[in-house]
Amino acid sequence: MVTSDAVLAARELLVRPGARAGGFTLRVPDLALRRGEVLAILGPNGAGKTTLLRALAGLIAPSAGAIEVRAPHGVALVFQHPLLLAGNVAWNAEVPLWGRGIARRNRQERARAALARFGIAALAERDATTLSGGEARRLALARAFVVAPDVLLLDEPFDDLDAAGREALVQDLAGAIRETEIAVAIVTHDLRQALLLADRIAVLDAGALAQLGARDEVLRRPASAEVAALVGMANWLPGRVRSRDAAGLALVELASAATLRVATACAAGTDVWVGIRPEHVKIDVDHSDPNTLGPASVETRVSDGALVVAWIDWHALRLRTHLLAGRGLGQTLKAGDGVFIAVRPEDVHVLPRDPR
Amino acid sequence: MSGVVGEPVLAIALRTLAVSGAALALAVAIGVPLGLALGHRRFPGRGLLVATVNAGMGLPPVVVGLLVALALWRSGPLGTLGWMYTPQAMVIAQVLIALPLVVGITLAAVGALPADFHLQVRALGVRGPRAAWLLVRETRRGLLAAVIAALGGILSEVGAVTMVGGNLEGETRVLTSGILMYTQMGRFETALALAAVLLGLTFVLAAALTAVQQASRW
Repeated sequence: MVTSDAVLAARELLVRPGARAGGFTLRVPDLALRRGEVLAILGPNGAGKTTLLRALAGLIAPSAGAIEVRAPHGVALVFQHPLLLAGNVAWNAEVPLWGRGIARRNRQERARAALARFGIAALAERDATTLSGGEARRLALARAFVVAPDVLLLDEPFDDLDAAGREALVQDLAGAIRETEIAVAIVTHDLRQALLLADRIAVLDAGALAQLGARDEVLRRPASAEVAALVGMANWLPGRVRSRDAAGLALVELASAATLRVATACAAGTDVWVGIRPEHVKIDVDHSDPNTLGPASVETRVSDGALVVAWIDWHALRLRTHLLAGRGLGQTLKAGDGVFIAVRPEDVHVLPRDPR
Repeated sequence: MSGVVGEPVLAIALRTLAVSGAALALAVAIGVPLGLALGHRRFPGRGLLVATVNAGMGLPPVVVGLLVALALWRSGPLGTLGWMYTPQAMVIAQVLIALPLVVGITLAAVGALPADFHLQVRALGVRGPRAAWLLVRETRRGLLAAVIAALGGILSEVGAVTMVGGNLEGETRVLTSGILMYTQMGRFETALALAAVLLGLTFVLAAALTAVQQASRW
């Protein structure tokens, strides 16, 4: 069922890209792109991300199922390695309009506006083959926006950009997406850029849709160990539900006899995975937090200047925690420190562990 | 001296241009689309076909001459056309010599494109004749290299055109067959004059094509 704001939807999609593309089968039961919304498609190499994008763009015919399109202005796809055509930057930006038979004057005007949107209007007369990686990326995006498409599909748009280039591109993209109310899907292995832009996340694993949901839902409640690893749920530990208390919370014993109070429906005796995002492991300086896990020690501390990453030894388990650098604990915490840690029960994600 | 003066150089040069021009046009018109199609379609037997084309680039003209002669001979399969010892026969021979060059070099030019070229062009919303034009535009250097190679092969060829044309004065004498004949007759001055015209023609045409090939804007 296509909701009113869905501009592109895959229904019971089955794609077999063939032996040359790896020979796997892509199965997507239901996936819709909505106007003004960014969907990040994450997954390991060979999961079928690019195949999904190409099927959504109508470039690969599905073996079964359908792609429903409600995009009068079309679907634009920017490849991982965009094809730059012989000629100058302006001509490259005009090509999709030329392909639609639009008159030269109109074409040039719209190409100029698209180039300006991505900050490369000054390069219009430059030979496209002389562009840097970042400039070529911007040209490819400008070329995609030039037809004012309803849907924009981006395959690894941050590939071969440096950190500053990625940030700048995220900013420009976010602006362009907000102004045009376009529906966007971004395939990327760069979690940070994906999270900065995404409203929803789809995770592909071995051709199957492992999870699809709102960004924070997927971040906090990954549906499998594979998804947890992909979305940065760095603390992922095996455990067993011991008992349930009067407040409805369960007591989970981790492998090392350390225990956690968690909110879960799992019955006593169930083998589970326990996931905690690093930002939810709190260092409890004065041992006042009601959710305390007791004493622990700082094993390793590293920092990139903005974020402090510390590995905490807690009953011989290694928990990863993130703090803001440059103030408070972020400034003072060092390896070897004895600390108390605390985790709120609602921040612990519990998933039944398959006995296999 | 009458009878040994022979046909004016200009007439031979113009006939050479007409015959070679027709052959080149036909070879390009057939060979380029064939090369483009062969370059990006995958089908069983393609490898063998490509190998045949590449081998054909070294096809001895004399063998082509023999085959065309056999076909056009009065008792041959195309004998009823009555084309033996006519410019038409020469054009056929030259087309057959140039075709593998055009197809082979076009094929190589298409092979140098990114593997997903056609997919990307389609994703840009460019279809049909415009997509074909983009393909030509992106491979233009290779395509013009194919035309230049074909031109060289056609203009310099003597064996086949003599065999099927007969080097008849006023009918099928071209620059190369003229040079061959006058040299054998010991009339080196005339042979040299024809050779100079042939070299000049080759250079001017190749230079013009090179200028088109290297032009930055298309």
